[in-house]
Amino acid sequence: MEMFKPATLEERRIYYREEWDIKQVSDFISNSIENREFGFDHFGKGPNDRYKVFNTPDYLKRFLKSKTPFAAYCSVAFYEKPRRRKGWIKSELVFDVDAKDIPIRTCGCDDVCEICLREAKEIVEGLIDTLKGDLGLKDIHLIYSGRGYHIRIFDADVMIMDSDVRSQILKYVVGADLPKDKYDDDNGIYNLEHFSIPFGYPWVFTQRVKYAINHLTVDSKLEDVNGKLLKDVLTNRNLLERNQWGLFKTNIGPVRYKKVIKAITSLNMSLVDAKVTIDLKRILRLPSSLHSKVSMRCTEVKNIDTFDPFEDAVPGFVWERNE
Amino acid sequence: MIPMSFINPLSDEGKQIVRKDGGDLDRIYEENNQLIASINSIKSQKISDDDYIPKNYVDLVIKRIEWYVEKKSDSKNKFKKYAFLFDSKITKFDVIAFYILCQAVGIKFGPNSRESRAIVELQGQLIENRLEELNFNRRAKREVVQQVMNELIVEDRIRWTLLADLISSKKISLQDLVLKEGNIILDREEFMEHFEEMIKNRQPEKMYNIFIGDRIKELIIIKMIMQNTENYIKNVHEMSNTVEPNPTLLKIADEISEALSKEIRHYSSGFAGGNAEASPLNAELFPPCIKLALEGIKSGGRNEVIVLFLTPFLSYARLNPSVFGSNTTLKISDVDPDLNVTKNEIIPMIYDAADRCIPPLFDDQPQEKVNINAKLGFGMHSDLSLQHEGETKWYTPMGCDKVKMNMPALCKPDEICKRLKEINPLFYYLDKMKK
Ligand SMILES: [Zn+2]
Repeated sequence: MEMFKPATLEERRIYYREEWDIKQVSDFISNSIENREFGFDHFGKGPNDRYKVFNTPDYLKRFLKSKTPFAAYCSVAFYEKPRRRKGWIKSELVFDVDAKDIPIRTCGCDDVCEICLREAKEIVEGLIDTLKGDLGLKDIHLIYSGRGYHIRIFDADVMIMDSDVRSQILKYVVGADLPKDKYDDDNGIYNLEHFSIPFGYPWVFTQRVKYAINHLTVDSKLEDVNGKLLKDVLTNRNLLERNQWGLFKTNIGPVRYKKVIKAITSLNMSLVDAKVTIDLKRILRLPSSLHSKVSMRCTEVKNIDTFDPFEDAVPGFVWERNE
Repeated sequence: MIPMSFINPLSDEGKQIVRKDGGDLDRIYEENNQLIASINSIKSQKISDDDYIPKNYVDLVIKRIEWYVEKKSDSKNKFKKYAFLFDSKITKFDVIAFYILCQAVGIKFGPNSRESRAIVELQGQLIENRLEELNFNRRAKREVVQQVMNELIVEDRIRWTLLADLISSKKISLQDLVLKEGNIILDREEFMEHFEEMIKNRQPEKMYNIFIGDRIKELIIIKMIMQNTENYIKNVHEMSNTVEPNPTLLKIADEISEALSKEIRHYSSGFAGGNAEASPLNAELFPPCIKLALEGIKSGGRNEVIVLFLTPFLSYARLNPSVFGSNTTLKISDVDPDLNVTKNEIIPMIYDAADRCIPPLFDDQPQEKVNINAKLGFGMHSDLSLQHEGETKWYTPMGCDKVKMNMPALCKPDEICKRLKEINPLFYYLDKMKK
């Protein structure tokens, strides 16, 4: 069996006409289909066929079965007049984690592989923890996109938020800003390292730094961190397993420690594709549609613990390929 | 001690004042000697002109609005003639004036009117300034803030999403809030309940004081009182549908509306609000990112830089530099009625920058000219013409956050950027322009 190979036109036909079912399209799309803009890529050259609207799932079904597009997309925005992208009502809050673009990966592959897809899932789990535990968001759907994950959020009070708030949410959940280390009250100024604060943003930041350090390899590239420093980090990182951050920092040296977390802070911004999160009118791959470039099904993840893309998102025709 | 109702007129204490002293609508135009006496006893009050002193409740209502309108055009001014508004001696009268104001506006104009929005904002600014005036007495201030907050959060837990607009305008950073399942932790006991056991090597008490700071509490009570004021106006409006409206209140509503419209006249006179008016562009005052963009983009992202970044910046810097300081939405033609400035000054600068890109933007993407017109508010047309104005929105200048994220190569902050906290490139221009 060959994975990650592009789907042929014939395979796309088999997929949409024999395997795909309109019922696989997530309810969060079907229930609001008339307010969404759809876009299609018919020739593998980008989604040029945009501003499409379907008033019922049935029309979408007919379209997909007859056109069997290379890729299908749907807006995160809800519009009064989706055909003209006018009358914006609200937009899902979205986080797009693409395995290929994760800044620190242990696999070293050129594209995507089993290892970085698993790491993408771990990152997504961390983000969802923060979205629920800190921000209290409840209506969260996770989609396997074909080469990574989309977190799609439908809580009413965030769907109406503007890009500026979304960008702050993004920076909060990925840990893209260095937390302050000086705090004051009436009695004076205190130095508090992020790891000595077990709540709020500093705590989120600590989790993200820990994840990053645990996934560094000798080949990792960190801004302003030389080979010697990287090696010291790798030698000492087992201390973080027991949360001995103070000792870790002492062993590395406080100035060099600062260099490391600064570098990680700026890498954290690319854990997620920021453009997708702040763009209120983005189109995202349609759940249940075929990602033809890699022959994977864009699939809603019902149970994150048991989901395995190589079990749950491989279309039937791929299993037949080697015969 | 500062009375709670001086900060929150909707508190129980405030409601009691109204029940006790606020009953008689027929007498609110009558000269109120108690009011006059208490204002005259305020030392910082400017009394050189008898007109500065409100003589009755309606006067007080109007004075509140005049302060709000004048403050808007000159935010730094302390206005000695309005000193009485910031002295808690007037609390009793102030609370009653607040209720008269909300009821009049609620009955006559309803919750979604311009008047109601202004009243809600007025109340927010009044509280903000009152708390500021209390800085010389931090203990009293902290005490009253704590009391007001306790009363507010007994009724409600506060979700961070309530503060979305404060987060958007960078008044509060999401990262400064301590959050648990969407609620903002403000209460000491609640903080201890969630985090006490996790705090190692430090005193939990101290951590609470450091992290749940005064500033956050103040912003939150201001925001909540504004929200409650809005709700109160809405309730008044709904009730008023069932009973005959009181003619005195209707009359006051007209006076309120008239006092507020002085603000509107101020904006439509061609000035853009604040003390920065429309004036020819001075490229030397531009922030580093704009200077770079004007040199043309040599790598990817030409469209975004020219259409989304440069076009809004140049047009607002030229025509409406104080856009973020005003609440009124302007069209280009409000400031540049025959579009001469737009066509002869702004567009040429944008096109120049587009030509300096490699490859020149319009060579391969001539349609971007249409998009530039669209961002100026003139719809998706190849000609810039008044008849299409309003079909699209005049895009406001992108904030530093978005610049950093979408076009990181342009963001090379200098000292001024840093001093201005890297919020919006336009603030940089405005800051230099004022000097
Ligand atoms: Zn890989």
